[in-house]
Amino acid sequence: MIRLLTAASAALLLAACQQPASAPEKTDAPAASATRTAPNFTLVDADGAQRSLADFRGKTVVLEWTNEGCPYVKKHYTGAMQALQRAATADGVVWLTIISSAPGTQGFVQGAEAKAWKAKHSAAFTHLLLDPTGEVGRLYDAKTTPDMRVIDAEGRLIYVGGIDDKPTNKVEDLQGATNYVQAALDDVEAKRPVRTAFAQPYGCSIKYADEQA
Amino acid sequence: MRLLTILLTALTLALTVLATGPTRVEAQGRSLALLAATGPQRTDRIEAELVPMSAWATPGSTVIVAVRQKIEPGWHTYWRNPGDSGGPTTLDWTLPGGVTAGDIVWPLPERQRLQTLMNFGYSGVVYLPVPIEVPASARPGETLRLRADALFMVCSDEMCVPDELTLALDVPVREGAAPLDPRHGAAIQAVVETAPRPAGITARAGLADGVLTLTATGGPLTGATPRQAFFFSFKGGLIDHAAVQTGERGPDGVTLKIKGGRGLLTNGLTGPVAGVLMTDAGAWEIEAAPGPALAGAAGDGALSGDEAKAGAAMGLGGFARAALFALLGGLILNLMPCVFPILAMKAASLARSAHEPGEARRDGLAFLTGVLATFLALAGALLALRAGGQAIGWGFQLQSPAVVGGLALLILAVGLNLSGVFEIGGGLQAAGQGRLSRLPGGAGAFFTGVLAVVVAAPCTAPFMAVALGAALLMPWPMALTVFAMLGLGLALPYVAISLSPGLLRRFPRPGAWMERLKALLAFPMYGAALWLAWVFARQTGQDALALLFVAGLLAALTLWLFGVRQTERAEGRPGRLALIAALVSLIAFAGAGWLALRAPAAATGEATSSGPLASQPWSEAAVAAARAEGRPVLVNFTADWCVTCKINERGALSSARVAEAMTAANAVYLVGDWTRRDDAITRELERHGRSGVPLYLFYAPGADTPRILPQLLGEGVVIDALSGRS
Repeated sequence: MIRLLTAASAALLLAACQQPASAPEKTDAPAASATRTAPNFTLVDADGAQRSLADFRGKTVVLEWTNEGCPYVKKHYTGAMQALQRAATADGVVWLTIISSAPGTQGFVQGAEAKAWKAKHSAAFTHLLLDPTGEVGRLYDAKTTPDMRVIDAEGRLIYVGGIDDKPTNKVEDLQGATNYVQAALDDVEAKRPVRTAFAQPYGCSIKYADEQA
Repeated sequence: MRLLTILLTALTLALTVLATGPTRVEAQGRSLALLAATGPQRTDRIEAELVPMSAWATPGSTVIVAVRQKIEPGWHTYWRNPGDSGGPTTLDWTLPGGVTAGDIVWPLPERQRLQTLMNFGYSGVVYLPVPIEVPASARPGETLRLRADALFMVCSDEMCVPDELTLALDVPVREGAAPLDPRHGAAIQAVVETAPRPAGITARAGLADGVLTLTATGGPLTGATPRQAFFFSFKGGLIDHAAVQTGERGPDGVTLKIKGGRGLLTNGLTGPVAGVLMTDAGAWEIEAAPGPALAGAAGDGALSGDEAKAGAAMGLGGFARAALFALLGGLILNLMPCVFPILAMKAASLARSAHEPGEARRDGLAFLTGVLATFLALAGALLALRAGGQAIGWGFQLQSPAVVGGLALLILAVGLNLSGVFEIGGGLQAAGQGRLSRLPGGAGAFFTGVLAVVVAAPCTAPFMAVALGAALLMPWPMALTVFAMLGLGLALPYVAISLSPGLLRRFPRPGAWMERLKALLAFPMYGAALWLAWVFARQTGQDALALLFVAGLLAALTLWLFGVRQTERAEGRPGRLALIAALVSLIAFAGAGWLALRAPAAATGEATSSGPLASQPWSEAAVAAARAEGRPVLVNFTADWCVTCKINERGALSSARVAEAMTAANAVYLVGDWTRRDDAITRELERHGRSGVPLYLFYAPGADTPRILPQLLGEGVVIDALSGRS
């Protein structure tokens, strides 16, 4: 018994002496500045044609991530998003709507369904781009639907973030909300710096394909 | 003429209808609220219900109701900051006149990782408490219909569904202190008391190279040695929710380095960063103003922010340490007053088997099996309940008054056995007599093992807390092993003796000394029973304690009568009278026992004094006098029947740190007791726009008007007010 206790105490002392290994200090890479170049990408659109961001250099480009099943997207697609698309494209803005949902997940479309998407939602975007691998969504760090990017004619990201300042799924909250994409486009047209370069995006998570280990 | 009558009637009818039009709309509004059904409302993903914490509402008080969510597996709802996606639960209240609802008291959320996104939310069963102010004009006997239009954004990995449910609850209005609601009261009170609140922690934030450095010191962080920490921001965009947070701890607090969110990186650090700092030592609300790092927050070791990482870092070293601690804890458990007598007697009875080593060995191993089986069963139940979403820890069995009361009665019975009132399995005189009443084989030893664990449960030894806390974080095979080590430690002395013939021979021969020892050891058992009765009283109240005493008395009587019967049988008499009397007494005991153990856990209605805080009765003159002296004044308007007041008084207002802060600030503490609804206090409440208690006022020196402190006080709120922080 005594021997057992002695052995136990010795083991205890040894255990207590063990210091937890300190975790290495994480140094983060310096964050990209607020206005950085929008990375180029190439995706196939709903009609099967290849579209690259570089094709639209010289025009203002709006990227919109969407998922027709998400309640937050549905709120905007009761008319407000389509109206904004219409007004923007009439002004010469290129509006690219991107679906980054993985095959089999909510929002994913292909083939005839993709071709019919625009008419089904009475949308007025320039092109519907299909990103089933999620590569472009991850490239732009898009997290939610809706998630918006505005790129100026020189290819710089001038607005990143949510579509407006009312993070709910209620249609009545469209009234009186500040639409940041509209504001950014207005700033571009007035040739002044964009006043709100970032706003917290809200919505459903983008249904990305699982990342390879 | 007929036509005229008809026209006049039609006109009258039309006018009546028009006149009642507006009131009809009002009535419709009220009846819409009435149409909302009480009780649980369901969708495929979530069941929600509005439930009360107390059995009724007292006029002029704050009651707490909660939205109880039962969420299907695979789905979740969100915290006030949902994280990278989703939205928080929102409530839109329709309340009777004069009744107002406060903000949701959010419990600490879970971290829910979804590929590269991080969300903060809840799953399983969740209570979201909301304080509701009931005006003093409410009349006892009436019922308040509360209605909440709740929007739950319920999401799974695949989709989000906005479930809108209308929840209603009827709250009766009565006088007097309300006991806890039997079904949900205890759970809601637990959430209210443990929800993160300000705790007087000073914090600073600095941004450099895209990394936000948070330092937090003071308050409960001083002297705490957390191993993990994580910061939940109230606003999105400030921090990268999904990034691992690393940091270190120091003597006074912690430092966290968090990757900045896009909002912070775009706009810079323009204001304070507020949120919840969670550590394994507790979770509190902090607000970090921009500024240089605080001293004393670094230098003592690294922290891990990622839950999974902490678990992995546990690894083999941590597991071995926990197992060793558990073994030692079990050994020490042998010395606890409730366990020691059982084991001592068992060991003494081994002396009888000194010359039958085979029997001793069998007994020893049976005892070990009993102990291990019971520990593993308890541990298994604990792990299963935790996996099912219950936030409980070891000792969970002692949170139920029924279990505590039952254990007290059981320990009383064991004590009576030791005192010789009755025998089990034959007395010590059985040595050499081969009585049939002795349990066959090692079964007796097995059940002694079970009993030892059952009575050991209330006594947690040092060492055990560390081991068990660690065990609950491990994967279940490792956790069960740690508990098994605890059992091994408990059984070790007895097993060691029973396996060693040499030790057995050293035991003195059985004799009168054993009877004396046995009777002596009864007293620690009685002590343990009394302690459990005290715990029971704290959980349920004086009336239930009285019932427990009656049950204990009847138990003692029953056992004595059984003992009498045993003696009569031993002397050859049938002992029928004793048997009948014993059975009658047993039935009476069962009745009393059932009544006592049914008692619900009640919020203590007795007027507990405000702990260590010295108080004086409130009056306007007292306030004026203190202010004239330039001293800060804290006023507490309370009442015996106000449950929220009692929660605050037991918590924030009884804390030693608040007492220290009050003395340091030379503050005066005045208590206005509104139990009898004094007019003077009523007028003072109305002057501050309130019609009920609790109301906490803080008069800072030199300020013209007092500050109204929140109804759910945390010690941090009081300390911040005293130290002059807004």
